[in-house]
Amino acid sequence: MEGDHDKTSFWKKNIKNVPGRPSPKRETKTNSRNKPHGSTSFQDFQASVSDAWAMDDDEFCSGLKNTRISKKVSQSAALNVLNTHRSTTELKQTSNESLSDTTTQIIHETEVVRISRVPGRPLQLHCSNPPQEEDNELKLERFEILLANSPSLPDLCKLSWSGIPVKVRGITWRLLSGYLPINLERRYEVLERKRQDYWTLVEKYYYTEHDEVNRDIQHQINIDVPRMNPSIALFQQKTVQIMFERILFIWSIRHPASGYVQGINDLVTPFFVVFLQEFIPDSKPFEMYQVDSLDEEKQKIIEADSFWCLSKFLDGIQDNYVFAQIGIQKKVLQLEELIKRVDETLHKHLKQHNISYLQFSFRWLNNLLTRELPLRCTIRLWDTYLAENDSFATFQLYVCAAFLLYWKEDVMREKDFQGLLLLLQNLPTQSWTSSQISLLVAEAYKLKVMFADAPNHLTCHTSNISDS
Amino acid sequence: MSTKDDEYDYLFKVVLIGDSGVGKSNLLSRFTRNEFNLESKSTIGVEFATRSIQVDGKTIKAQIWDTAGQERYRAITAAYYRGAVGALLVYDIAKHLTYENVERWLRELRDHADQNIVIMLVGNKSDLRHLRAVLMEEAKAFAERNGLSFIETSALDSTNVDLAFQNILTEIYRIVSQKQIRDPPEGDTIRPNNVEPIDVKPTMSTDSVRRQCCQ
Repeated sequence: MEGDHDKTSFWKKNIKNVPGRPSPKRETKTNSRNKPHGSTSFQDFQASVSDAWAMDDDEFCSGLKNTRISKKVSQSAALNVLNTHRSTTELKQTSNESLSDTTTQIIHETEVVRISRVPGRPLQLHCSNPPQEEDNELKLERFEILLANSPSLPDLCKLSWSGIPVKVRGITWRLLSGYLPINLERRYEVLERKRQDYWTLVEKYYYTEHDEVNRDIQHQINIDVPRMNPSIALFQQKTVQIMFERILFIWSIRHPASGYVQGINDLVTPFFVVFLQEFIPDSKPFEMYQVDSLDEEKQKIIEADSFWCLSKFLDGIQDNYVFAQIGIQKKVLQLEELIKRVDETLHKHLKQHNISYLQFSFRWLNNLLTRELPLRCTIRLWDTYLAENDSFATFQLYVCAAFLLYWKEDVMREKDFQGLLLLLQNLPTQSWTSSQISLLVAEAYKLKVMFADAPNHLTCHTSNISDS
Repeated sequence: MSTKDDEYDYLFKVVLIGDSGVGKSNLLSRFTRNEFNLESKSTIGVEFATRSIQVDGKTIKAQIWDTAGQERYRAITAAYYRGAVGALLVYDIAKHLTYENVERWLRELRDHADQNIVIMLVGNKSDLRHLRAVLMEEAKAFAERNGLSFIETSALDSTNVDLAFQNILTEIYRIVSQKQIRDPPEGDTIRPNNVEPIDVKPTMSTDSVRRQCCQ
């Protein structure tokens, strides 16, 4: 595989400049973008996001204070933590057991109920729309207080990282993506103008004669949109499909270095659903909602805002979609490198059976896990991605690593190439809820702190990037 | 899924290529799982499935790689041509453009695959009779001129799907078993520009404990 093997960039910051690629557009980004990852340790982070790890802050986090994973702890100590996590997965916790040691409770559980069995909390149901843990009232209150004024972006990121209640998700996503100004006074004016801009673009480019390149783009989009989410009725509606076609087309012609790439359609869906949910009364399920029943004005808002947020969101990862998809190729190598360090057994098992990371992680990275997770989980995951802000491109890599580690036991059980690849390409996440996502991003955060903030641990290994 | 019945005599890697939306994934799911989805999600990168069939009393395991049709994925998907001994080049009989692009796909194979790869041209969606845009005779003549085998299939109503895979696997089997008699295969090297015999080494070294075609 070709691609740039510059490893040092991995541990610093994501690579944004690709030769021949236009620099990402960052209009109206006037706010300083302090990131939550400024924390120097897991401990700091934990203190700053008291509810990062799950549902009911208080009882849940009381135990966290006893856990110390400082930056000084060496890689081996960190590895011990990971191993402990892994071994404790076997322990079954009874429903009234205190969750004080939840940091050592690993995400490796297929039964979704266990984690939700916190005293006083209703049991989660296995329905298409189980209540999501981020939707608790306490959290909503904190969001409402913060959003009532012009919040500081770092504060908003911190609060959002562990999940955003559905009621405030739309506005929070607009703010986090940099589409909506933090400053309250400017918001109305910016929204008006941006929405108008979008519709001007549509008039000018979508509803006009296309040249050959644009016809190809349009053609590919028209093939992909109708088969986007076959199991969700919402996406079978003609109105919705046309909205997607316009969003994708306008995005593509504004990003000629990549154009439309299959899979980007999936990346619109979380935005679309979140902005649609703002108009659905009584939190009815969006899956069956008739978009035609909304006023045209509202439809236009959903579409324009989805477009702008998608644009902002993809700015940081455009090299995933340019020629040869070098952004992804590089991340696949980084993922391999990362797994090799944190779990050599797993890595060796994959290598021993001739599995190459590209074979399973390409889709993970290209579609940001949207194909691997139920939509409700993708939305929850994107709360964290958006809260990661500019560093999301790197963070995504750690999430993929955590995702692979999560399945370690199942992977180790497979003893041949076929079995492994079929498992890795069809991971059983159907019953996942946001609980699993919370634990997944927590695990990813640990990896990030362990590696990204401690590059010295890695210098001795930098010669053997890939032996595949 | 397929890991239990893992006794086989031959393991052949086959790739499914062709324009976006011609039904590659459905051909694969029809063949390997007898499933069909009218709207199946687009393939991202490369997806994988296997099925075993019997030819001359031998068990042949087909390892089939379904590739994304979009041009942008070419850099990734081309990597999967390596080691493939067969290719199903699929077009949609109701979309003439997908047939016109067959030449481009052939060039793609010439550039990246083993030069002796067995290629079968597959006109899919034969159930769409009223929408036919590519004549069967025309495609057949094209296939003959280019030394490809040819078949029309419908993943929707199952017509010829098994037969298509049977045919290409049998063809590969014949070549391989002939060749084995003539000259035993060499190492695992594919150099697209060299004149080299088809590579019939097992695709996966770990499976070498089992009976293999080349041992």
